[in-house]
Amino acid sequence: MSENKTDTGMVIKIGHLYPTLMSVAADRGNLFSIERRCKWRGIATEVEPIFVKQTPDFTKYDLILFHGGADREMEIASRDIQHKASSLREAAESNTVFLSVCAGYQLLGHYYKPFNGPELKGVGLFDMYTEGGSTRFMTHMALECKFEETGTKILVGYENHSGRTYLGPKAQPLGKVLAGWGNNGKDGVEGARYKNAFGTYTHGPVLPKNPWLTDLLIQRSLEHRYGKVKLLPLDDSTENAAHAAALKLAMEFKGTMSAIEATSWKR
Amino acid sequence: MQTDNSNNDSTTPSGLRKARLAFAISAGKLAGASGRLFHIGGGTSLPGMIARRIDPNVLKSVVGGSKAKKIVITGSNGKTTTARMTAAIADAAGRSVSQNRTGSNLLQGITSVAVNFSDFFGRMESDVLLFEIDEATIPLAVPEIQPDVVVITNIFRDQLDRYGELYAVARALDEMLESLPETATILLNGNDPQVANFGRNAKAKRIFFGLETKDIGTPVPEQSADIIRCIHCNSDFTYEVAYLSHLGLYRCPECGYTLPDLDLAVTGATLAENGEGPSKITLRTPEGEMNLEIPLPGIHNIYNAVAAIGAAMAAGFPLDSVQTALSNIRTAFGRMEKIQAGDKTIYLSFVKNPTSFNLMLRLIAQHPGKKHLLLAMSHTVVDGQDFAWLWDVEFEDLVSDILDAVCSGNKTEELAMRLKYAEVSTDKISLIEDREAALDAALKQVEPGGTLYIMSGYTPTQELRRIMQKRGWVKHFWEE
Repeated sequence: MSENKTDTGMVIKIGHLYPTLMSVAADRGNLFSIERRCKWRGIATEVEPIFVKQTPDFTKYDLILFHGGADREMEIASRDIQHKASSLREAAESNTVFLSVCAGYQLLGHYYKPFNGPELKGVGLFDMYTEGGSTRFMTHMALECKFEETGTKILVGYENHSGRTYLGPKAQPLGKVLAGWGNNGKDGVEGARYKNAFGTYTHGPVLPKNPWLTDLLIQRSLEHRYGKVKLLPLDDSTENAAHAAALKLAMEFKGTMSAIEATSWKR
Repeated sequence: MQTDNSNNDSTTPSGLRKARLAFAISAGKLAGASGRLFHIGGGTSLPGMIARRIDPNVLKSVVGGSKAKKIVITGSNGKTTTARMTAAIADAAGRSVSQNRTGSNLLQGITSVAVNFSDFFGRMESDVLLFEIDEATIPLAVPEIQPDVVVITNIFRDQLDRYGELYAVARALDEMLESLPETATILLNGNDPQVANFGRNAKAKRIFFGLETKDIGTPVPEQSADIIRCIHCNSDFTYEVAYLSHLGLYRCPECGYTLPDLDLAVTGATLAENGEGPSKITLRTPEGEMNLEIPLPGIHNIYNAVAAIGAAMAAGFPLDSVQTALSNIRTAFGRMEKIQAGDKTIYLSFVKNPTSFNLMLRLIAQHPGKKHLLLAMSHTVVDGQDFAWLWDVEFEDLVSDILDAVCSGNKTEELAMRLKYAEVSTDKISLIEDREAALDAALKQVEPGGTLYIMSGYTPTQELRRIMQKRGWVKHFWEE
């Protein structure tokens, strides 16, 4: 598995937004997933951490990662990201790939209004807004997603958020909710897409047990730099087993308030 | 029945209350005894659960009627060992102790102490009541216990799905501290920027413990550290030394927030290089300087010992027998517990968050040679549902040392995948969900005289220990 393929000479440039500020749910696993799956195929990755007060030209990256944080961290990020916003939007317009999760996802919308406290301004990359609710959506979830490259695929993960997100006409959802709550618990969809930018509430982290999504991000990142490419297949039996276990859990908890309330001994 | 006009005391309101209490306690005791008899459990939470059903005030009545010093220990990590050490110090000082010593730290487990250690009328003889309490249970338990001493060991990110966000837990703890009367003492870890700030408006007296030596530690906190920004102004802390996760000598360059003066401070420390202990420390206390040897390994056990000494001091016990008490401390069940399994050795470690997992990996890495591992995780209510935190565990640091790893529990696939992405070759990883089969398979890979390292979550640790107990390798945990 970890024997390294011949060097393809290709490289993906990754910008990792706020790696220490926004890292609450071990979402660095997403970066690990991208790095290893590139390495196993002989594709190089260059990762640049981007901290508060830094304003790089975001169009130089092929892939930008932006993960979750608690409300206090989100406030810091919201203030800082205003200085990065126009470059981030420009990158999205030029087809840079984005993976944003939870608070990072929320901050790519127009704004986040917490249940208590002042509104936090976002980047406006996704046509959407988020309002804090009084309860948290905490459960295993499953989505049905469809992409040109992959066909219909199932995405699994764990959601843990009190924000309710509402998409505007310019954002598409990432997928249809099969189990769990999704963006707002009402309209049956989860996440957002705009060009190559993706946003989602799924933790877990999301990429390791959804290798098809990792590969889609890798492929589109490479295409951003090199034009059409085809990825070498990998042995995904370990990942697929984890995917199947997570899907089973999600379907068990289907339609329930939270995973905790739905555990079998309580029933 | 109550129309009987005899002088039966049980018809008066207070008599009724007493009768109800006595009934609750007897039923609880019976439940505990039959649980042990039929080997379905150690009677650690069942007696409390039954008794509370009958009399919801059972804990309050028994504890309130007792003259004992009441000590409550809470925090993310280190509760059980700190409680064991506190009990040992109290014991060495000639005090009799009742405690929930088996990690049963939810409300039922705490109530079991009242049931198990009182007589049928709810009277307790003990000099000290010692409770380790889950941080989420604190707001429920403290009003019932009315403690004299509250110890907060640290707050790490722990089971986000159970407790919500770290800050919510912190707020609840802070509110609890503010509710304490001025006769109480609060013992806080001064090296934890968030914990050190607790109880600023409390009426109770605050005392601080911690490390202030540069003998050990690292220049910056590890990746999984939680509180690395100032809790007042959000600027990044600068660290003179980081000891463990975000615990350290921190200072905010913007607003100047820094750790308080420590009442109990470790001013010198040496850790054993073999990862097994003992550690040697010099401790400054208001009652003088002490040179101590702590038999349990690692920085975390230095914290546990100092917190225990602080708790004993706050409760007014003499400290002259501290070294004797600490020398007799064995590891709590599942805390790098050394177990002889025939001609093989097992180290059993209970791990539940990145901080405790990384600590154990670091200790194991200090042991010589290549390692056989058994990892077991389960998603039950007490273990949590969301295992994302496995990706904050630094498996990468141990990879070159791993000979083979068995993954078990119903998080088997997740664990195996985590190891694969740490680049442990998949042919070294086996997936065996069943606990007993996993234990046997893991031991089979160990050569005679060799060692197996087990790292497991709460439920799997209990299950594994039960198997080992059946085989006569360890005692019942309630007999400890």
